[in-house]
Amino acid sequence: MDFKFTEEQELIRKNVREFCEKNVDPIAAEIDENSRHPAELFKKLSEGGWMGIPIPQQYGGAGADYLTNIVVVEELARSCSSTGFTVSIHVGIACMLILLFGTEEQKKKFLTPMAEGKHLGAFVLTEPGAGTDVMAATTTAVLDGNDYIINGTKTFTSNGPTAGTYLLFAWTDKAAGRKGMSTFIVPKEAPGMRVGEHFKKMGLRSSQTSEMIFKDCRVPKENLLGKEGMGLQMAMTGFDHGRTGIAAQCVGILQAALDESIRYSKERVQFGTAIARHQAISWMIADMATDLSAARFLTYHAAWLKDQKLPFSKEAAMAKLYASEAAMRHTIKAVQIHGGYGYCKGAKVERLMRDAKITEIYEGTSEAQRMVISGIVLR
Amino acid sequence: MPSIIACFKWVVDEAYIRRGPSGDLDFSSVDYKISEYDRNAIEEAVRSKEALGGKAIAITVGVPQATKSLKDALSRGCDQAYFVADASFNNLESSQTAFILAEVISTRIEQYDLIICGEGSSDLYAQQVGPRLAEKLCIPCISFVQKFSIDKNQIVAERRVEEGVEVIAAPLPALVTVLPDINVPRIPGVKDTLMAGKKPTVTITKDELPPVGETLLLTVGLAASRMERSCEMFGTDAQEIARFVGSLRKRGVVG
Repeated sequence: MDFKFTEEQELIRKNVREFCEKNVDPIAAEIDENSRHPAELFKKLSEGGWMGIPIPQQYGGAGADYLTNIVVVEELARSCSSTGFTVSIHVGIACMLILLFGTEEQKKKFLTPMAEGKHLGAFVLTEPGAGTDVMAATTTAVLDGNDYIINGTKTFTSNGPTAGTYLLFAWTDKAAGRKGMSTFIVPKEAPGMRVGEHFKKMGLRSSQTSEMIFKDCRVPKENLLGKEGMGLQMAMTGFDHGRTGIAAQCVGILQAALDESIRYSKERVQFGTAIARHQAISWMIADMATDLSAARFLTYHAAWLKDQKLPFSKEAAMAKLYASEAAMRHTIKAVQIHGGYGYCKGAKVERLMRDAKITEIYEGTSEAQRMVISGIVLR
Repeated sequence: MPSIIACFKWVVDEAYIRRGPSGDLDFSSVDYKISEYDRNAIEEAVRSKEALGGKAIAITVGVPQATKSLKDALSRGCDQAYFVADASFNNLESSQTAFILAEVISTRIEQYDLIICGEGSSDLYAQQVGPRLAEKLCIPCISFVQKFSIDKNQIVAERRVEEGVEVIAAPLPALVTVLPDINVPRIPGVKDTLMAGKKPTVTITKDELPPVGETLLLTVGLAASRMERSCEMFGTDAQEIARFVGSLRKRGVVG
């Protein structure tokens, strides 16, 4: 068993950390406060090749492994959870699905500019009445000559307002049940698609989330990803990758919560001594450090399995479940350690706590992860 | 098209040094990095190469574990790297490092036009290796360089000195030691890091070199600086100044 990273992975982690200290930390509070998408930051990320790490170089990526991508998401999220997440969903779901299921033509036309970071990708699945219950979706795609006509409303679409390429899930044959949903690559310019309401969120505020409305939206037949009926399978594959990314995002949040808690508890003096020397605080920090390690190893293991081309659905769900619940639990503790100062805007832990909550909800709630895990272990 | 050598040192990343229980320094979990100003040296070598053509060569002397530094240096744009390694190279003195570098540069590297060193290392900041190396190679040395340009067979460099900026020209080959103001080192992209392992490296062991020579410095002891106050007051007239000088002489502060 080897827990060592390669020299390249270590260097890339150091480089992304330095990148974050220079480019992300200085704006993280501002983009949260203003719910602003930092286009200038994503331009720099693209220049460094951070927007397509596991995508082969022939399709505009860096050609590294998935674990390297996970390390980068973790370090980005340590500085800004929204930024880590945006990269995670763009690379982990949107790019990966086109890589895994796309035709050569689709990879050249859509994946390459995405992996180069020219524009973001979005995963358009959730509907107002279909969250965990994906089968309750109502959006349809009907073949009309050489085009599919899409009708329906999607919601909670991450990167909705900022993406250039959308992976849309719609019924092509509702009667076929689990084999009746299909995936379409919808470019931003597609007639009949528009961005609906932008959501104002508790956390993850610089990540842009919106409704997506499809009214007789025409998409050429060549934009069908894979074959008709493969949509649900693709969504699940996307989730396996995406959940590993969310777990990495949580590891970044946890590391940041630990960094902040250690720093503050060593500085803050009460009853004549640094609060880090009070057992009540030091034990919180011990638990935080332990859960961080556990979450980190679950996450790296899931990514490692993916790189070994082994099944990793269960491990991705476990990593996401454990890391997200640990992130929520310990960001609350981190605020507690900071006391009143931690409750005020300007304290990083205040942002971390708000950012943590969504990780227990999106890309499958904690309850959905338990359904996936129990479904596999009880087989 | 010039051939430019950047010398660098692999040093402890000070961010990882912890304070031990008795106030001592705990190095047990430290990581290493390319010394800060040496990153400026590498960056300048690569920028010069990018502007003028030619090649940038990185060279370092250190313990075998410092092999990790090669990919770091190469990911920053150098074309090839030389690594002079031995387990005994842990605490080399500046004179020894300069000797080794001079030996390798003069015997292993066919031709070079410019050597760039950081003004001093992040750990010791002795500022010795650059000038000593130039002396050994019998080439001009320009220190405290904040900007330079290469024009035909000469280098024109701006030196930052106390009174202002001194502009100096020297024939090539030459050596410059650079200040951090000279550039902002790039952060290597993912592809740069992945490509680094594919670039050529040459490892040279101690056995392939002439004897490095004994250490010349002796550490007698380490003590914190101390300020002694004798609480004598002096005025500003001639008589008082004479009394002040007399007092310094009496204590042996001045001869």
